[in-house]
Amino acid sequence: MNAHASTVARISVAIVDDDASVRVSLRRLCEVYGLTATSYASGREYLAALDEGASRADCLLLDAHMPEMTGLELQRRLVARGVRTPTLVFTADEETGVSPHYAAAGIVGYLRKPLSGDDLLDAIERAVRG
Amino acid sequence: MNVVRATQTHDSRIGGHPVASLPLATGLIVFTPVVLLGNLLGSFLRYPDIGAAVLYPPYAILTAALVVCPARDRVWYILVGSGAHLFAHWPEWSLSWVLFADVANIARALVAAMLLRRLFGGVPCIDSIRVLSQFMVTAVLAAPAVGATIGAANVMFHGASNTFLAPWIAWLVSNALTGLVTLPACLCAFEYIAGARRIRIERAAVLETLLLGGALVAMCGVAFVGTYGRPHLAVRLYAPLPILIWAAVRFGSGGASLALTMVTVAAIWSVDRGASPFLASGDGNLFALQIFVLLTSIPVLCLAAVATARQRVVQLYRALLASLQDHVAILDAHGVVLEVNDSWRRFAQSASTVPGFHRVRPGDPFLTACRVDAEHGDATAEGLLAGVTSVLNRAHRRFEMEYDLEHDGRREVFTVTAEALERSDGGVVVTRSNVTARREAQVQNEEQRRELSHLARVSVLGQLSGAFAHELNQPLAAILSNAETARHLLRRQPVDVEQLSAIMQDIVADDQRAAAVIRRLRALLKRGDKRLHLVEARELLDDVLKLAQTELLTRHISAAVVVEPGLPLFLGDKVQLQQVLLNLLLNACEAMSLTPAPDRRLVLTAAGSEATGHVHFSVRDCGTGIAPDLIGRVFEPFVTTKSDGLGLGLSISQTIVGAHGGRLWAENNPDGGVTMHCLLPTTERSRIDASPATEPVLTAGRET
Repeated sequence: MNAHASTVARISVAIVDDDASVRVSLRRLCEVYGLTATSYASGREYLAALDEGASRADCLLLDAHMPEMTGLELQRRLVARGVRTPTLVFTADEETGVSPHYAAAGIVGYLRKPLSGDDLLDAIERAVRG
Repeated sequence: MNVVRATQTHDSRIGGHPVASLPLATGLIVFTPVVLLGNLLGSFLRYPDIGAAVLYPPYAILTAALVVCPARDRVWYILVGSGAHLFAHWPEWSLSWVLFADVANIARALVAAMLLRRLFGGVPCIDSIRVLSQFMVTAVLAAPAVGATIGAANVMFHGASNTFLAPWIAWLVSNALTGLVTLPACLCAFEYIAGARRIRIERAAVLETLLLGGALVAMCGVAFVGTYGRPHLAVRLYAPLPILIWAAVRFGSGGASLALTMVTVAAIWSVDRGASPFLASGDGNLFALQIFVLLTSIPVLCLAAVATARQRVVQLYRALLASLQDHVAILDAHGVVLEVNDSWRRFAQSASTVPGFHRVRPGDPFLTACRVDAEHGDATAEGLLAGVTSVLNRAHRRFEMEYDLEHDGRREVFTVTAEALERSDGGVVVTRSNVTARREAQVQNEEQRRELSHLARVSVLGQLSGAFAHELNQPLAAILSNAETARHLLRRQPVDVEQLSAIMQDIVADDQRAAAVIRRLRALLKRGDKRLHLVEARELLDDVLKLAQTELLTRHISAAVVVEPGLPLFLGDKVQLQQVLLNLLLNACEAMSLTPAPDRRLVLTAAGSEATGHVHFSVRDCGTGIAPDLIGRVFEPFVTTKSDGLGLGLSISQTIVGAHGGRLWAENNPDGGVTMHCLLPTTERSRIDASPATEPVLTAGRET
């Protein structure tokens, strides 16, 4: 194990990704590190869950490219609802550089897939601690 | 290269009528003595009362000069002609008679010259009965009739005849005879002087001319000089006929005309001396002479026209054969070589090691040559023997085959065709051409086309490289996360075997998913020959959509696919067609880059049926459209609507679709954007089932 195990315990993350295998594997990884993880296949699903009273996560992991609603769009809607959860966007693109829209929408980190568990945990920790 | 050999002989020209430009000085130097001599000859024998000559050479001489000389010089020839006329007949006749008659002469010659120039543009080339007829109507009938009218008026004016008709007929016949007998020779002579007629003087021709002239003089002697104690032996008149025919066949209308003139002069001379073979006396003798000459001239000139036409055809045919690069041999109905062209002959001489049927000469039996080669195991000769025989037997109209030949130490490709000769005697034309260069160019072309198509594909994939990276990164990310999770799980006690096994299963699935992405990429990147598969429209569209999926996603484009049920299968190269549709799809994506994201819609359709015989794909975007002046040209290479495009994608796509027998076109939508259409012919089921092409198709389909 590593240093993260104790510090990240009790943090809850919500994962929104349309790719099922990425979604499932990320949730497993978070759980094996001791985080509480929930996952959703689309922005709409997540918003619906919030409407139904799902507890707000400490950190959001959003896929950048999703049909219907991109990660950025979801974040904007959340901001519009007053939800200010620290958000990480990850992508499988080879693009470099982060769109200025991301920072404006309150996105705190940008991760490129594939990423190791340690990098992910570091990013989540930094996001949560602000 | 070889110069076409179109030897010009004595009385024939190939081509039109060159515009003669007779220099005035040369013309007059020749014209003056000749026209003077003609006038003297004309007065040599004539109807005593009315002054009409039996043969009146000045008509022919002046007409020929007027036809050939430039228009501005005509007055000089007319003046000299009138002078000669005056010199010959005055003061024997009254001045008024001579001048009146001269008006008739000038009018007649001018009418004839104008008509000939109008009809033939100059000197007529008498090489058909049609031209001869036209010549006779104008120069032998119309112009003499004009002259005869004026001449007869002259006779009436001077009170030399009671009737108009008698002198009119005498003048007409006299000049008609001249036009027929002497004018063709005069025209040839003046044309020669003007330099429009090039005659190559060959020794054989000179010798033949001398022989012919000698024979003619001798036969004229037989016919017209002696009476041999039998003054009424009219059959003597036939003596010159064989010589006239000789002249007509060998020297055309000019030669025939010259010979006829000689015969006529000899006949006139004999009548004048009272040694005539004609069975009449006095004026009747003259009339009989004229009729004799007329009746002899017309068939002889007809023969000359036909002989000239034949000679021209033979020359043309020789020249044509000689000019052909292909090797040509003409065989008779029994397969015996009648004629070969220069190319055939040269190849036969240069290629001593090739099979014998290449080296046959006129007179050789072609089929036997093939048979001998076939017996020595030459398969080409065997095929050719069968083919030529079938065409000779009229079982086939045409036979064609291609074969390789070791020649000059290199491998060359020939095609040989045997085509039936359309004539009652039968026969075959065998044509052989060296197509090595053409074949090599074809192969090279095909290679270049393939290379270009491959490059275009690579460039399409270049556009998609980001999308592929994304597609590969997704399963790689999942695999990495799963593997790390598994590592952590393995350190715990007890090991959660169930979850580990689920993770392993997912890793395997994601690995396969990555492999599939790479396989799709490889299929498009592979350079290879066109391979025909049985293509299903739905599957084709799905493949293309899979390739473009991420591109659509990242560009926020929603794509709708409408596939008509029951689409027929068709034969095609899957990879190439994927390339085409992918190209159309990516173009459509790019066309919508300025469209607001929610409006970026793409519609892919596939329609068609076995009955219509085609499958119709369309890709519809709602982008900016194509400028009307560009819409017809977007398929031309290097025409592009993009700022960074090379303009090759659509051009190559069209080549590919064209090679499939289909069609590709663009249309601006009425409500904005462009629809690209791609029409591909379906293959009839029976043909698919029967086609041997299905064999490699199926194996190719399984391979990957």
